[in-house]
Amino acid sequence: MKDDATSFLPLSPATLHILLSLAGDDLHGYAIMQEVARQSQGKYKLGPGTLYDNLQRLIQRQWVQELGRRPAGDDPRRRYYSLTSLGRGVLAAETARLAGVVREARLRLQMAKPRRA
Amino acid sequence: MLRPLYCCLLRLHPSGFRTRFADEMLSIFDHAAGRAAAFRLLLDGFLSLARQWTLRPEFWHELSSAPQTASDGIPSFYTIDPFRPRAGAVIHGLVLSAAVFCLTCFAIKYSWIRVLHVRIPEVQFDSPRSIQSNAGREASEKAPVPPHSVGKQSIAIPSASVSAVKAPRYDLPASIAAQNSFVQSPTTGTPESQVSSGTQPAVEVAGQPRRGLLRAPVKPRDSQPSPLLSRSVSHQPQAQQMKPQNATSEDSPSAKLDAAQRQRVIEGAIAKVKVHYAYPDVAQKMADALLAYMNSGDDDSVTDGEAFADVLTKQMRDVSHDAHLIVVYSRDTIPAHSAGATREILAPYRKKLEQNNCYFEKVTILPHNIGYLKLNSFPDPSICQPTAKAAMASLNHADAIIFDLRDNTGGYPGMVTLIAAYLFDHPEYLYNPRDNTTQQSWTRSPVPGNRLADKPVYVLTSASTFSGAEQFSYDLKMLRRATLVGETTRGEAHAGSWHQIDDHFGISIPDTRPINPFSTADWEGTGVEPDVKVNAATALDTAEKLAEKKLQKK
Repeated sequence: MKDDATSFLPLSPATLHILLSLAGDDLHGYAIMQEVARQSQGKYKLGPGTLYDNLQRLIQRQWVQELGRRPAGDDPRRRYYSLTSLGRGVLAAETARLAGVVREARLRLQMAKPRRA
Repeated sequence: MLRPLYCCLLRLHPSGFRTRFADEMLSIFDHAAGRAAAFRLLLDGFLSLARQWTLRPEFWHELSSAPQTASDGIPSFYTIDPFRPRAGAVIHGLVLSAAVFCLTCFAIKYSWIRVLHVRIPEVQFDSPRSIQSNAGREASEKAPVPPHSVGKQSIAIPSASVSAVKAPRYDLPASIAAQNSFVQSPTTGTPESQVSSGTQPAVEVAGQPRRGLLRAPVKPRDSQPSPLLSRSVSHQPQAQQMKPQNATSEDSPSAKLDAAQRQRVIEGAIAKVKVHYAYPDVAQKMADALLAYMNSGDDDSVTDGEAFADVLTKQMRDVSHDAHLIVVYSRDTIPAHSAGATREILAPYRKKLEQNNCYFEKVTILPHNIGYLKLNSFPDPSICQPTAKAAMASLNHADAIIFDLRDNTGGYPGMVTLIAAYLFDHPEYLYNPRDNTTQQSWTRSPVPGNRLADKPVYVLTSASTFSGAEQFSYDLKMLRRATLVGETTRGEAHAGSWHQIDDHFGISIPDTRPINPFSTADWEGTGVEPDVKVNAATALDTAEKLAEKKLQKK
């Protein structure tokens, strides 16, 4: 399972952001777009075309699942999505990978600093 | 304005994507504030459309593997994987379907022909000569053709009447026509001439030479019943009209039947009926009935030949209810079939045809380039083929064609087929209820140089349109090749074959039941219904207007 998850890494920014936004709560598509914008401080905006293209693949890979229920009084056209355990594992693996990248990057940057200074 | 456009964009997405996400994407569009946002979404929609169709073929159809969770207890249903056949399988399927379709069409086209015992090669490829010789052979094998039947047509040619060839021999090939004597010269028309020519008494019956049609009354005005002949057919008006004349001939010392003669005739009739009647079980019943009447002495009081023929006819009809079963008595000796009849005997008929232009009364082009052919008989093609060809050729450039059969009294099926051939671009089967033979039933289409095969055709009918003319009308109507305008035709379709019992008695027996490919009922007794019912007198005007209208539409 772990191998399966890591074989998809690294994730594309859109995939990463979508998984990340679903990590906290089950959201519908529009909420995912807003959450992605919030996470990136408005720097990364996801259009619905890209969002649903990614969601489609994530659902197929069973990283994300569509929920049958929705809060009462909500727009009936909306569908809610949540991370599966597999999706969560992939996100964790990607986060670990990114953490390694960041650590490595910091290390390199620190090593480079004195030289410049 | 933008929303419908966005809806269209969503609708253009692959079905798998559309069913899953379109509604939600539209709800996002509805949340978008401002025109700029809407435009951005539109652009995003375009990109998505391109992406889904070009990069995501695996999502073109709805996903079935995607789990539809039912965590709230609502039952959900899954469909099996969408199945898409391989391209090769599709092509194989197409080829197979086309082959099956062609086979079915082929079977439909030819199956009913087999029922009719049609041998296609014979029909289509025999030369006229071979057909004639075949027909001749067949005729000679069959029961001798009664001069009677021939007589009816040839006799009935008073010089005054154009429609004189009354129900000419319906289906006699030329070779047979030559063998069978034309009893009476149309010009001389005397009974003596018949006698001297050694041919039979002219039974005044609408004629089928070979099939010996004893029905089909001839118009009284045209008929010149021979005094030498007495006729037993009592169910027809003509027969009654003839009676007085016949009565005069009863004076001559001929007909006093004794018991032995009666028995011989009855036994002869039984033998013929048993052999030739189309329904053997009914034939047996009739035979039993005849014997019962004879043994009970019911027939003993009848000593007159004509009356005896009537009695026998009635006795058989009581059992069979078949109006085509007729016993005929001729006071004059009926000679056995003689092959000695020659062209000389045919000459008067030929002369008559020549004088009347083969009954092609009028061939002309009407206004609006509508061809008009008034044909009062379907004369012997062996004599009138050139005339028919010339008539049709003169109409070849018409844009529509009207056949005026209002005074047509029938004739040779060969001529019916010959003329109908010009109306088709492929051989077409013309149903002829009088005969199982099919030699003359296929048109020899296409006719070289002919341009009428696709032109509108109108056939004018009247209540006196008769016999072969009804066949022409009926077949063209059933083949949807012509529009019939006028009145319901007279309704004469069936016939029996002639069989001779002895020197004075003969019997007409319906011996064939050709299968009608168009419907279960032909026009026997009912006539052919026109498509456009108008008075016969106004039929030509009506047909002209119809043709004009049709041509204007083009």
